[in-house]
Amino acid sequence: MPLIKPGQTPPSDEEKRRWPRDADGLLRALDDSTPSARRCSARDMANAENDAQRALFAAALLARLRSEHEVSVREVMLTTLVRLGDIAALSGLADCLRTDDTTLRNEVIEAMREAPAETAPIILELLGDAEPSLRVFAVNILESFRHPDVEHWLIDLISHEANVNVCASAVDVLCLTGSTASRPALLALRQRFPEEPFLQFAIDLALKRTAD
Amino acid sequence: MADISISEQDFEKFREFFYRKSGIQFDDSKRYFVDKRLIERIEATQSGSFRNYFMLLRVQASNAELQTLTNLMTVNETYFFREEYQFDSLVNSILPEIVRLKQDQKPIRIWVIPSSSGEEAYSIAIKLLECWPAINEVDVEIISSDIDTHILGQARQGLYSARSVAQMPTRYLQQYFRRVGQNWQICDALRDAVEFTRVNLSDPSDTRAYRGFDVVFCRNLLIYFDDISRKAAAETFYDALNPGGFICLGHSESMSRMSSLFRVRKFPDAIVYQKPLEAR
Repeated sequence: MPLIKPGQTPPSDEEKRRWPRDADGLLRALDDSTPSARRCSARDMANAENDAQRALFAAALLARLRSEHEVSVREVMLTTLVRLGDIAALSGLADCLRTDDTTLRNEVIEAMREAPAETAPIILELLGDAEPSLRVFAVNILESFRHPDVEHWLIDLISHEANVNVCASAVDVLCLTGSTASRPALLALRQRFPEEPFLQFAIDLALKRTAD
Repeated sequence: MADISISEQDFEKFREFFYRKSGIQFDDSKRYFVDKRLIERIEATQSGSFRNYFMLLRVQASNAELQTLTNLMTVNETYFFREEYQFDSLVNSILPEIVRLKQDQKPIRIWVIPSSSGEEAYSIAIKLLECWPAINEVDVEIISSDIDTHILGQARQGLYSARSVAQMPTRYLQQYFRRVGQNWQICDALRDAVEFTRVNLSDPSDTRAYRGFDVVFCRNLLIYFDDISRKAAAETFYDALNPGGFICLGHSESMSRMSSLFRVRKFPDAIVYQKPLEAR
């Protein structure tokens, strides 16, 4: 029967590994020339042993993230940054939303959506950021964010937000996820921006979708 | 022994701990299932309270109790030739493409995770022997892994209930099994052909040795993971697969919702996912 049993343990990457698997080795491997070594290093960093190591790895991953061109490595780095759950890691991720690199921004948005419990405090900060584009990105994250307070945050946002683009983004998300609870804030928003036909249209649609 | 109860806070604490260790997330609807097993183990270890037992789980150097509890907490229900259309896809589309692209003489390697009691790995072995003539010229290794050491023991033993083999064509049953009382014993040739190993998919130190696979079957496991653990698992499979290798998920699971690293391949029998050939 040509089904064969592996004669020994599956081949290990141990012999190919150039760096020891301690903290220093993982940091050095993050700069290895081969993407698979960098992916392994980034993945292993998720197993940080204590807060100091978590902070060290988060800083290294964030520093490397912007110059990493290999998509598969970036994806593992982003996953690890979210899994580390370290506040500095998550704030650093949020900072990446300020970059001009659209691909990286979109990857960060995706990554932040995947860990709602960990990223919720950062999202709240972003919703209050001085830069309107950052507030729009935060709203984009909320579009598929599994957190029970999403609607509440969006209602709060449109109740005081002055920027029409941010409001329009929030209304779009409420159109998809809102309930009757959103209606008073939507109606008030329509009164605040009578000169914006696009927003009026979006609000009317959201009111229709959130009707009983 | 006094009545042992698991408070809301205990449940939350345990849920977080177990998630970090296994990637498995229990939602509130699983509360009864989790409490029942925790109390069972608190009694068996004579810990007396959740607090003492939780301490044991966290500090025991051998992790033996964590393993025992994990065995109890994992669901192991499967049967032979479940979702057979994917095995059709394996022999009709996936393996022919792998053979065509293969540039070395190494065996084709298939990883089945979770193994559960071995039905899926043995089904693949039977399917290859019965429906893929190229098996006479190409060597194939099948490695089947699970986090549950108890269920791996059952897989190695290869003794199955009538319900477990009910979907299998009678001819295969006659050829590869023998009757033992009410049960069916798989033949030694198949038992010897599949390697069963213990792996926690959420632990990089467990998975880093798993490399060079051409096909991964990971069906109906990731539905128990949360989004970020699913994404991490997808990235683990990416490194486990050779460039051009394939991953088959359960019918309700979609790689596109976990990771952008794989390409969707629509074959006549099934939709599967492929690591790009040019991947490094």
